[in-house]
Amino acid sequence: MRFTPTELTPDELALQSDVRDFLAEELPPGTHEPGLGMSAAHDKAFSKKMAERGWVGMALPKEWGGSAKKAVDRFVVVEEMLRWGAPVGYHWVSDRQTGAVINKFGSDEQKERFLPKICAGELGFSIGMSEPDSGSDLASVTTRAERDDGGWIVNGTKIWTSNAHTNDWFICLLRTAPLEPDGNKREGLSQMLIDLKNTEGLELSPIPFLNGEHHFNEVSFHDVFVPDENVVGQPGMGWNQNTTEMAYERGGPDRWLSPFSTVEQLLRETQGTDLGDRAVELFGELTARWWGIRNLSLSVARLIDAGHAPSVESSLVKEMGTRYEIELIEKLVEFTDEELSLESESLFKRLLAQCVLTGPGNTIRGGTIEILRSVASKGLQGLPA
Amino acid sequence: MSIESVDSLITETADRLFGELCTHEAIEAAEADGGAPEIWAAFAETGFPWISLPEDAGGSGGTLLDALEVLRLVGYHAAPIPAAETGVLGGWLLASAGLELPDGVVTVAPHGDLTIADDGTVSGTATMVPWGRSAERLAVIVGGQVASVPIAAATSTIQQTALSGEPRDTLVFENAAAEVGAAPPGVDTDTLRFRGALSRVAMMGGAIEKMSQLTVSYTNEREQFGRPVARFQAVQAHLVWAAQDAALARMAAESAGHAAHRGEARFEIAAAKLNCNQAATRSTKACHQAHGAMGMTQEYPLHHYSRRLWTWRTEYGGTREWSRWVGETAVSQGADRLYPLITGGSTALG
Repeated sequence: MRFTPTELTPDELALQSDVRDFLAEELPPGTHEPGLGMSAAHDKAFSKKMAERGWVGMALPKEWGGSAKKAVDRFVVVEEMLRWGAPVGYHWVSDRQTGAVINKFGSDEQKERFLPKICAGELGFSIGMSEPDSGSDLASVTTRAERDDGGWIVNGTKIWTSNAHTNDWFICLLRTAPLEPDGNKREGLSQMLIDLKNTEGLELSPIPFLNGEHHFNEVSFHDVFVPDENVVGQPGMGWNQNTTEMAYERGGPDRWLSPFSTVEQLLRETQGTDLGDRAVELFGELTARWWGIRNLSLSVARLIDAGHAPSVESSLVKEMGTRYEIELIEKLVEFTDEELSLESESLFKRLLAQCVLTGPGNTIRGGTIEILRSVASKGLQGLPA
Repeated sequence: MSIESVDSLITETADRLFGELCTHEAIEAAEADGGAPEIWAAFAETGFPWISLPEDAGGSGGTLLDALEVLRLVGYHAAPIPAAETGVLGGWLLASAGLELPDGVVTVAPHGDLTIADDGTVSGTATMVPWGRSAERLAVIVGGQVASVPIAAATSTIQQTALSGEPRDTLVFENAAAEVGAAPPGVDTDTLRFRGALSRVAMMGGAIEKMSQLTVSYTNEREQFGRPVARFQAVQAHLVWAAQDAALARMAAESAGHAAHRGEARFEIAAAKLNCNQAATRSTKACHQAHGAMGMTQEYPLHHYSRRLWTWRTEYGGTREWSRWVGETAVSQGADRLYPLITGGSTALG
């Protein structure tokens, strides 16, 4: 394991400058309600504007509508969007992982069908991994797909499916071969693409978030037919493909920037006032920590561009980044020391209220920190994953 | 962008040299004796103490990055020698002012009330002087002047020891004859403080990495309840946290080193020292906990690294001092410039 320091090239700095100009023009500070990193609002028009500049699906090949850019280019665009609290929600999952999975494992027909739309910012994906009895032990999923003429018949239930009610498709991990007693549960799994809006037998019901908001859904399959052309890669190879997909989810700026817009707003609202030592020291600590974590996270993107699969490094960064997000939110609450409300007049306090309410998700979504520690510590000890 | 790397020969040579010399017994002996002259002699033989100091001033040439890589290995091997003081701190001060570099150890006074009189003599007290008792010269900067004072001229020496077990002495001078030179622009007490912090983060990055590796090995060997303790999730958490801090500290130190190699680097050095101080606190806690009672014994080497980290985290600025420095910088930049500061560092300060 080695994190090598790296810096942005002149071309990457020029891209950073373009993104900053775009954001200053589209979303001038004070005119929009910033989101908290990747939990930001869904705004199809904004996704489209980003896509017009080539900033959605940018690492995908040009023949499918991408820009054939590198992981670091995507890192540069994404960190600016997230720190600005820009409404990237609609294309977030397609851009971060589904496009990459289809490009890596999908058929040419699937690439032609999905990738140009993803790159145009016109296709929102959800993720169908967890089930009522399968969370961290993901290979134990029991939603099953059985062979039928020209496709598969699916029955079972997925839960915690974020934004299934607003997105267009989701990519599901399903069991396509029964698990034999003493069999390897990582075998016999497959990934399938399923239309959320036009599929018979698919039933969506909300799982209200702790404050009543609607993000999560339960998605039930009642004899849902999935045609063969919607199976991604080889049937039975779903576990390996899914592991690759998870690697795209980890270690990026979305894992340490969630409270950034909140901190920036605190600084904006206190500018010109006498902050006192405690606030100055708090700003110092978090500025320095973000600088340090960003350097690690950027070096992971550089490793990906060099052809490595840095799963241990990205797990370490995600565990560290999300844990720091929570520590920081706690410090902000202590520092503010006032009642919080989502209807506060102060934008900083509204954002902090949202940070507190959504905070528990930061160290759970995309793999709990406990699972990340398990992945990372096996890597540290040289054990198989 | 690929950034300048260190000659791998320097890494290999220093790693091998320290690996052979800095055995557990040798580090213990250095602590008991207040120094390790034979380790220093072998180190000096290679010319490594004077890397980054210009050859025409009696240095060994090479870059600041090369010198910091040697310091990283000093930390990694807990080498009980005044490498930072003789090279990038004291030696740098003397060479900057055109003063002669001695053959032996140079040290610096991080604190004290030393003054340089018009006649070039030095008076006052220097405290917490690393390896003061065994140095040949003390490099002092006061106002715009640098003085090279013979240690032998001290009227009294009070021997003290840091948490690391390494000497941090008090030296008193009364009208001691010294060589004095003018400090060039950009060389002042503030610059020395930042350079001191840079030397410490390089060593801290090495020490945390070694401590993290020791902890992985130990917890794989130590068995309880019929299996290595590293199989327990509660222990794995300590391994992961220590590895994160090793990565964070080394990344911070190397990023600050690259910035300093190029020029203005105060933001990076301040942010690196702050990160390393906090990483030292967290990682020593995690590694000691994972080692149980064994980590608290003199016979097991963990303390060589943890005690040095407890020393270095407060030298050249503790957590509050650097929090305030970075915080004042961030606040003065304002909200719109906060993220550009995080991504651009000193270059964003203009």
